[in-house]
Order: sequence, then C-alpha cells, then structure tokens
Amino acid sequence: MRAKLFFIHAILLSLLIFSLLPLTWMVGVSFKTAKEIFTGSVNPLPHRPTVENYALVMERSPLILYFLNTLKAASLVTGILFVVSIFAAYGFSFFRFMGRDFLFYLFLLSLFVPFHVRMIPNYLLVSELDWVNTPWGIAIPQAANALGVFLLRQGMKTIPRSLVEAALVDRAGHFEILFRVILPLLKPALAALCITFFVNAWNEYYWPLLVVSDKAKYTLPLFLRMYVSEEGGTAWGAMMAASTLVSLPLMVLYLFTQRFIIETYLKSGIKG
Amino acid sequence: MEYRRKTQLLFALAMLVNIVLGGWSLLFSQEPVTIEFWHVHAETFGGPAINELVERFNAQNPDIRVVEKFNPNMYLGLTQNLQAAIAAKNPPAITQLGNNWVEYGATNFPHVPIEEFLKNDSEGQAIVAKIPEGVLNIGRREGKLVAMIWSLSNPVLYYNVDMFKEAGLDPQNPPKTWKELREVARQIKEKTGNYGLYLQEPGDFWGQQALIESNGAELLKKDGGKWVTGLDSEEAIEAFELYADMALKDQTALHAPWDQGMNAFVGGKVGMAITTIARRNYVESNANFTVQAAPFPLFEGKPRRVPGGGNVLMITAQKKKEQEAAWRFIKYLLSPEAMTIWTKGTGYVPIRLDVAEDPNYLKPFLDANPMMRVALKQLNDVVPWVNFPGKNATQIEQILLDVRSAILTGQKAPREALKEAAAKINALLP
Amino acid sequence: MLRKYAFVFFILPAGFLLGVFAFGAVAHSVFLSTLDWNLISPEITRVGWKNYGEVFRSEEFRLSLWNTLLYSLLFVGAIFVAPYGSAFLVTRVARRWQGVYKSLLFFPSILSLAVLSVIFLWLYNPLVGPLDRVFTSLGLRRLFWLTDRRLVVVALTIVTALKLFGYNFIVSLAGFLSVPAQIEEAALLDRASGWDLFFWIYCPLTSANAVFVLATAVVVGAQYLFVPIHMLTGGGPNYASSNLIFLIYQYGFQFFQSGKAAAVAVLTLLFFSGFIVVQAFLVERRVYYES
Repeated sequence: MRAKLFFIHAILLSLLIFSLLPLTWMVGVSFKTAKEIFTGSVNPLPHRPTVENYALVMERSPLILYFLNTLKAASLVTGILFVVSIFAAYGFSFFRFMGRDFLFYLFLLSLFVPFHVRMIPNYLLVSELDWVNTPWGIAIPQAANALGVFLLRQGMKTIPRSLVEAALVDRAGHFEILFRVILPLLKPALAALCITFFVNAWNEYYWPLLVVSDKAKYTLPLFLRMYVSEEGGTAWGAMMAASTLVSLPLMVLYLFTQRFIIETYLKSGIKG
Repeated sequence: MEYRRKTQLLFALAMLVNIVLGGWSLLFSQEPVTIEFWHVHAETFGGPAINELVERFNAQNPDIRVVEKFNPNMYLGLTQNLQAAIAAKNPPAITQLGNNWVEYGATNFPHVPIEEFLKNDSEGQAIVAKIPEGVLNIGRREGKLVAMIWSLSNPVLYYNVDMFKEAGLDPQNPPKTWKELREVARQIKEKTGNYGLYLQEPGDFWGQQALIESNGAELLKKDGGKWVTGLDSEEAIEAFELYADMALKDQTALHAPWDQGMNAFVGGKVGMAITTIARRNYVESNANFTVQAAPFPLFEGKPRRVPGGGNVLMITAQKKKEQEAAWRFIKYLLSPEAMTIWTKGTGYVPIRLDVAEDPNYLKPFLDANPMMRVALKQLNDVVPWVNFPGKNATQIEQILLDVRSAILTGQKAPREALKEAAAKINALLP
Repeated sequence: MLRKYAFVFFILPAGFLLGVFAFGAVAHSVFLSTLDWNLISPEITRVGWKNYGEVFRSEEFRLSLWNTLLYSLLFVGAIFVAPYGSAFLVTRVARRWQGVYKSLLFFPSILSLAVLSVIFLWLYNPLVGPLDRVFTSLGLRRLFWLTDRRLVVVALTIVTALKLFGYNFIVSLAGFLSVPAQIEEAALLDRASGWDLFFWIYCPLTSANAVFVLATAVVVGAQYLFVPIHMLTGGGPNYASSNLIFLIYQYGFQFFQSGKAAAVAVLTLLFFSGFIVVQAFLVERRVYYES
C-alpha cells in the first residue's frame, strides 16, 4: 500500500513539475538581467534579481488602462455568454420541438468554424456598425460561441426530467424552474464555465489585434506583443515581464477563487 | 427640479460657448489632419524611435497629427491587417512594407506613387538625390518610384571572439570565404564541441538568397518573356550542397528557427551566426562574450551579392489632404535629424551617406559601433531582395521555406529538392 | 399555447449571435470558395468548383488532414486520458495532498497559449534550452523538437495540452468526486482493487463527463493548435506540423488566396461534421442510457 501511494505521488509530482515549468521559467526570467538569461544556467530562479525588465515595460505603457480595457471586454464576453448559454441550454434540454436535435447539432457545428473563417466577415460587419476600437467590437463576435450551450446541456441532461415536470405541474414558470431548480444544481459547472470564458476572453489575441487600432483601447495581450520583435530579436527579460504582468490578474483571481470552485465541486459531489 | 433647471442652464451655456469657440476655430485655425502610420516596430526594436519621430513631427507641424500603429508579425502580419482595412475601405495613410513586399503592394494596394509628389517638389527632389540610386530602386517598379525606401539592412557574419580563441583561431582573421568558413566551423566543433555556424532561418529566404546569389545563382530572372527561378541552377545547388554538408555531414551548422538559432549563438553554443545587421543590439546586449562582425563570406573568385533587407514607405491615403500630409511626414523621416534617430533606434544602415559621415549626426555613432561599419561597407554589394511577381508571390516564398527545411533535415538531397521546388515555382510564376 | 413556443425565446439570443457571427461567415466562405480572389484586388474570377479540386489534390491538404488526425489521436492521450487518469490518482491520495494537486495542476490553464508558445520556443531550444540540458545530462540523445519531422507533432501537442490539461482535469475530478462514497465503500468490502474501482465503478459512472471532455478535447484542441503552429513552426518543417486550421490560415492570410482558403474551410467543416455524427448517434445515446 505504501509503495503504491509513493508511486502515485511520484507520477503526480512529475506531472506537476512539468506543468509548472513554463510558469516558473516565465517569472524567473522576468527578474533576470539580459546577460544572466544567457549564462546557460538551468536554474530558473535569478541569481541576483532585478526589476529593470518591469521598469522597462511599465515605463512606456499605461498598464492600468490596458488592464481596465481587458477587464471590460472580458467581462462583457463572459456576461453575454453566460446568459445566452444558460437560456439556450435550457431550451434544448427541457423542450421538445421539431428539429430540436438538428438545431442543436448545428449549434455544435459552429464550434468547428475556425477563427480565420470568421475573421474577415466579422471585421467587415463590425466596421460597418462602427464598433471598431470599442469594447462591443471586441466582445460581441467572441460571444458567438456554442461551447457553453454544449457543456450546460450535458449538465442539464443529468437532472431528472421528473423534477422539472413536477414543477410544471405546480404551475411554476420557466424562469422559476430555471433559477430555482436547475441553476442551483449546476453551480459548479456554471462557475467552471465562467472561469473558462473569462480566461479565454482575457487572453484573446487575434481578434482584438484586428479590431483595435487605437493604442488607448489596447487589451493586455496586444500590449504583450509589443515586446516581441522578429527582426530585432526578442528581449526575453522584457517579454517575460510583460507576460507575467498580463497573466498576473488571472493568477490572483484564480488563487482567490480556486477554493470556491473546488468547494462547489465537492458540495455538488455529495448531493449527486 | 431646481437641480434640473440648473443643469439645463449650464448645458445651454456650454452649447453657446461651444458654438462661439467652434466658429472661432473654424475661421482662424484649422483642425489638424489626422493620418495613420502603420509599421511593424515593436517596443524592443524601433518602437520608441518611431514614437519620438512622430512626437517631434507633430510638434513641428501643428496642422498634421500622425498616429502610429504597431502591427505584430512583421510585414506579413501588417499586410493581413491592411487587407482587412482596405476591404472595409478604411486604410491608413502611410504603410510600411518590407523590401520583398513592394511588388505585392504596388499591384494590390490602392496607393499614390511617390513619383507624383516628387514632380513639383524641389525640396523632395533634393532629399531623394542624397540616396544612392541602387537603394532608391528598391521602391521602384517598372521605372516608376512607387514607394520610398526608409530602412536598409544586410547580412553580416557575427562571431564569438572568445570561442575563436578557445578553438585556437585568430579572432582578428575571421573566415573570408565559405571554404574557410567550413574549416573554421570544423575546428570550432573539434576543439570546443560547439556548433560552428547558424545561418538565419526566419519566415523568409533572405539569408539563403545571399548564399546562392553570392555563388552566382539568380533567384529570379527573365528568360525570354517569362519569369523563371534560378533555384535549380548549378550555382545554387553547389551552394546548398555546401550548406547541407555542414548541417548534416559535418554537423557544424545548426538548423533551427531564427529565434532559437540566435539564442543558441548568444548563449555561447554556436561560434558564428550570419544574420541581419539589425540584430547587432540584440547580440551585444545579450551575449556574455565579445562579439565582432565580418562581411558576408564569399565564394572564391565571385562577387558578394547580399539582398537589401529593410522596408519602404507607401502612401495609401485616400483623401488628397491626407496624401499631402503623408508625403510631408515621409520627407521628415528622410531628414538628417530623423535619419539619426532612426538609425540609432534600430541599427539599420542609414540610407543617406551624407548623414552617415556628418559629425553632427551619425558619424560619432558609427565610429562607436564598428559592426555597423561592416554593413555600411557592404552597401556596394547590395542586390534587390527578390520580389516574386504575380499573385502567387507568397506561395512561392513558402515553397522556398519548405525546400530549405527538406534539405537541412536531410529529407531530400539538395539537387533533387531544388529541382522539384524550381519546377513548382516556375509553374506559379507569370 | 404560447408556452409551447417558449423555447424560441430561450434559444434565440444564442442562435442570433451564432447565426450572424459564425454561420454568416460560413455562408460568406461558401460564396468565396467559388472565386479566385484575394479580397482586395479588382480582379475577381469565378471558378466554380475548381478551388475544391485543386485543394483536394494538393499535397498540403493531404498532409494537413493526416496531421489533424494524428494530433487528435495524441490529444486523446494528452488531454483526455492523462487528465482523467491523474484525476483518479488524485482521489487516491490523502485529503491534504489532494488540495495541493488540485490547485496547482490547473494553474497552467490560465496562461495564454501565445505566452506558453513563446516560453516553449525557449524550452525547446536544441542547444540552450533547459529540456536539452536535462536530456543530455541524463545521457540521452539531443532532440530537435521543432525541426524533427516526427517529433514536431509531439512538441506542439505538449504545448497545447498544457493549456487544456488543467480544465479537463478539474472536470474529470468533479466527475469522480460526484460518485457517492457509499458505492466505493461497498466495493471495498467486496475486496475490490484500485483497478477494479477504476474500471468497473468510476469509468461507467463518470462516462457522461468523460465523453464531453473527449469531444471538446478533439474539437477545441485542433483550433488551439493554431497558435503554437503559427508561433513556433509556421507549419513546418515542410508541412510536418500543419493542420487543417493552419492550412486555412495559410491559404487565406499568407498566400492571400481567399477562394482556396474558403474551400479548405468548407472541407474542414464537413470533416468535423463526421465527428458530430459520431457524437450524435453512437456516444450520446449510449451515455444517455447509462447516466
């Protein structure tokens, strides 16, 4: 038993080390001087930490502004997706109508529409609507995403229909059923979904790149790209400092909410 | 209620002031013309210099406001964004194009040729006269000046002085020919266990064009009325065989993407690197050893032919007023003041030799940076960076990258690979 | 009978967004796929189905299609089996350790894939990268992660998997934790081993979760892969790491052949619809009955 447990820990620990390697490297290098990065040391931690990289990237960019822009766009995407996904998933799970399954699989199919197919038509539309350089322009096209509908429907399918039917007999309205019966049961899935939406929208790079040209409207991933230069060579220290700054809000957010997420998972586990 | 009335009053007052002031400004001053300038310069390479140039120009020209926009992913990334902007009928006023994109830009982007502005502009003509004809020609298509050269670079051989010493080589006597270079690379490997050479492998064929053309091949030439590539000529095959032998047989040449290769060089694992002079600052500020630069190596008895990298400026503004403002900004960028800021901020080779040798402008900087002198001397050996004609240009570029990989990984022998690629390319050329 | 049509109200908002921003774009693509055009040139030629034929016969398409399948296979291991297995392992260790593993294994998921890719450009450096240091100090062969034709697929799968692992891990874990403790206790009384528990109790009971983790792994994975392909290899060496999504980008935004790009996009959609049919008729039905 002991040996087995040791073995399990060994597997999990090596997985952990490997998956944390990029993160450690990123933060470590951000505190190294240019010369130290290339000394050939495998140690990710800086020998003599420096904040010069942070000074460099913060001096020339209004980070707080970029942070707020990103927050605005990511919250907008998450908010819209959250609401429309719940509604649609409910529609697909608790109604019977002609062509329901077909329509659902059509929704699913949209998950396979690659970004580069959507890019130009969406850009033309957004610029027609005069949404270029606005949070709407960044957010609305990203809110056309069926992943949430798919995942929530999976969750709703595990809820016994009898529960809903009983409520209907009690003459409860759909909203009452949705908010009183269904959603409380899906709390962990909803929390996880929100995190995923938010993280993805926060990190989205290709779309804002096209739709934002005004530097004052930049989001953090765009700011990050200002430190990558193919021709002149990447300034690794500055680049990693910028990456750390971009990821920092998410890391902090996760550190504070992970207890909550995992707890909700556990709670639902006991109920299930 | 009281509050509401007050705000209404305030609002009316504000409107009044606005109208009066607005009328005033309409009568006596002009709203500045706002023009967008799209470029590819990240904060770590030329970005701050562009900011400074724009700020200075805007201060000196209150009637124009230049807004700069950075486009990641180099000229391809910029072109992608530009295509979308043009399709949405919202292009910038000035666009920076890589020297290998001039043809594509001239045939696809709505633009006003520089020539039109030069016609009646003696000031402009005087500036342009200061630029060597061969350099100016980079922006010329069918005899017409369509775009203005702004930046210039060429490939040099950087080498690790400390490693040369360790390998028992004389650092003051770097290899001058490819034959010597192969021997030096072998010796470095034998004595230090490190790789000898890294020849840059970005998403373009620039470095390899220098290699084959210096051996006498012509990457693009006209045969009768049709364009063909000389990629399968004996000269090109011979040059690639040498390169492939170093990579595969001797295992002294490193095959890796650009950033990885250069990291390995500044990390002290590769003795020599052939890459653009624009990487000088990167190499100097990251390497923990002494670096020197030498000219691009020769093939015995043949002239050096290095493609001119860098970029041109094209005026893509739609309105007359914006076009004129754009031209004034371009003239500013070619002024001695701007040229000095730009050269110091990027490490490109200055295109005006009068500014380069002027003690008030670039001479002190160039004297302090001997590596820059190496690239400056190579200006006479600069040939155009090939612009493939026709709508398949970028697809042809990709074929070149693919054949490079196929040869350097040993998937195919150079002769066979180059013949195949040349056939594909010729089919795509008009 | 207004209530009967209430579903319209629920489905419409999402449907509208998808209709405009996803299917509108697809319709646009289908139209583009019959043209020879670069989106901005005044020269537009109608070519009918020619783009499809050319794409279908091209070696790029064949290689990219093959790689897409290969990546999917690797993803099944990397972001389906691995998170599922490790989630099970986590349930086997003491409570206080569970917490540590849970929070830390999810961590890389919050990094942007673009950042991860740039970091891996360094980690994969054949001469100065830390992975090389470790490998060579163990006396192993030097690996050229990004220029070796066979290895490059694995290298890019790892980058993408790191991004997707954490999320799937948490979802799988939730599945395991939702299995009532009594069931396990009962099984243990019957002297069931760890493997028995895994295969006979947990697998069937968590299969609903497992299926959607698998489905999203393959779908989302193929699209996420675009970022590391774009940033690390450009599809190379010689198309060894390209996939269908990257090929669309390459035709459309590198070669500026919008017609061909659209043709690949349509073919890709058809190819992926195959997955949906499988999902619809095999997997979903089965899981539905079991859960």
